[in-house]
Amino acid sequence: MKVFDLLAIGARFFPDNTAVKHSDRQINYRELLGNTIKVAQYIKSLNLEAGSRIALMYENSIEYLILFFAIFKAGYVAVPLDTSLKPDKINYIISDCDAQLLCFHAKYARYLNKIIDSDSTLKYIICNKNLPLESSAIEFKVIEDILNDTAFAKSDTETDIPIIEFNLEKLYEQVTKASNELAAIFYTSGSTGEPKGVMLSHRNLVSNTIATVDYLKLTEDDRIMVILPFYYIYGNSLLLTHVVVGGTLIIDNRFLYPEVILDTMEKEKATGLSGVPSNFIILLNNSTMPNRKLPFLRYFTQAGGAMAPEIIKKLMKSFPEKEIYIMYGQTEAAPRVSYVPPERLADKVGSIGIPLRGIQIKVVDENGGEVPTGISGELITTGDNVMLGYWNQPDDTHQVLKDGWLYTGDLAKKDDDGYFFITGRKKEIIKTGGNRVSAKEVEERILENEKVLEAAVFGVADDLLGEAVKATIVLKDAQTADIREIQTFCRARLAEHKVPKIIEFMDALPKHKSGKVNKLALKN
Amino acid sequence: MATVEQADMRKKLKDFITETFLIGSDVESVNDSDSFMEKEIIDSTGVLELTSYLEEEFGITVEDNELTPDNLDSIDKLVNFIQGKLG
Repeated sequence: MKVFDLLAIGARFFPDNTAVKHSDRQINYRELLGNTIKVAQYIKSLNLEAGSRIALMYENSIEYLILFFAIFKAGYVAVPLDTSLKPDKINYIISDCDAQLLCFHAKYARYLNKIIDSDSTLKYIICNKNLPLESSAIEFKVIEDILNDTAFAKSDTETDIPIIEFNLEKLYEQVTKASNELAAIFYTSGSTGEPKGVMLSHRNLVSNTIATVDYLKLTEDDRIMVILPFYYIYGNSLLLTHVVVGGTLIIDNRFLYPEVILDTMEKEKATGLSGVPSNFIILLNNSTMPNRKLPFLRYFTQAGGAMAPEIIKKLMKSFPEKEIYIMYGQTEAAPRVSYVPPERLADKVGSIGIPLRGIQIKVVDENGGEVPTGISGELITTGDNVMLGYWNQPDDTHQVLKDGWLYTGDLAKKDDDGYFFITGRKKEIIKTGGNRVSAKEVEERILENEKVLEAAVFGVADDLLGEAVKATIVLKDAQTADIREIQTFCRARLAEHKVPKIIEFMDALPKHKSGKVNKLALKN
Repeated sequence: MATVEQADMRKKLKDFITETFLIGSDVESVNDSDSFMEKEIIDSTGVLELTSYLEEEFGITVEDNELTPDNLDSIDKLVNFIQGKLG
């Protein structure tokens, strides 16, 4: 079984169900499968090498799903790109994974000629519109032209559905037969600053999809309100889990105006809403959500960093009859590792819950030995969901994958009921608004400013973002700079979520005897 | 008189948007009718910064149900919204 089969199953059992609703457009599973097969045939006709990586820089849309599944159908590896990254990082990723084909949304046209520089490995682009290109070496194709091309058929003889009966246990059976081949690479911030490619196999994604369908009790009647980008592993999980059950993805990319999202949820009868802490903080504090009934909504899910207990309690108080799933995971785990069953949330606020079916969690000391209940150590996990490794980074892979266990870098403890609680973090990674930010990368960019002598970057508690990026800066003698100047300098070099929200100037940074900056002292 | 006030309001809004969201970003300039959403000038936390600015600078109160693109998604729309609020 492979990732494409998740769509094949949805289409086989629920062909007439609406797969995606986006504004005034919608597509059912029969059409989605047919269009996917057409685009896959075009991609196959390019005769890329087996296992080639195909990058996807595309906003959430019906076409995203067509392209995403077409990559798998054609037998290649999907590399969804974070569209908020600067062109230099996009170039780094395209070059790092040696992608020759880029699926590109015209919304990001201002970046295109920066992405296709002289060293680019790209040879082909599929786009939703015709765009002027400076490079004539690129073969450019508009997706609509592929879909209208009668040379590509909407069906083929190869598409086979691997199960006869549709039920959860049958799906779990398929997981054991799922392929260990590389399916997708999701790039994430590493602690060194350069993006690291998390290699996920078909089995990683399929197993995590089925286990998530299981605990969320998803069915063809579910209609998820999608406000998270599909390139983000949590958004990707929404996509896969709803497709396999024949549910509906309601796309609305306008979360900056939460009232619009709430209106869409009511109009489209959304049964689920998934978000990161900042989404819920905005919805609870800066929108009319607490006053709305949302009569069709069955559940909320939250992941992407710890959400403050008072926000969880506020959500519970506002919607006592809805199921609230607090979840934990990371890209390296495809992504879901644990969840709090809604019926236990009231007495387990602050917990990341219990492992999903088929996943194990342990808390270990520095030697890898399991620590007793109540004692903090590193959270490690194993299961079919644990990644193959980091693309082209064997040393980094060996640091986090040991004997089949993923060392998450998160510190945790377990209580007497077997519920886990995060207590801290081993690595210098800041989790802000659902994004991972490398402190080192931000420090390096700040130090490029010739006025700056030293900089220390770390995360501080923030009501909206969970953690906010804070920079403490020492200027060189006789230099002056203000907060706005440093933020502007960073904004030109870093994605918006990496720009320090809080900046403090000091005469000197506190240091340990070794000379290393004492960030704990700065935080306190 | 009203035209002068409107021009002043427009300039203040443009300066705020430019200084807060544009300098250092990939978007070089903003026209009065440009959608902040379409041009990816502002994100969800930016909208909250913008409403705080409107409340402080123009002495208005922005209700939660007024955080909509019709009211806030361009300089033109902001001018109309503020003028409506100020009566």
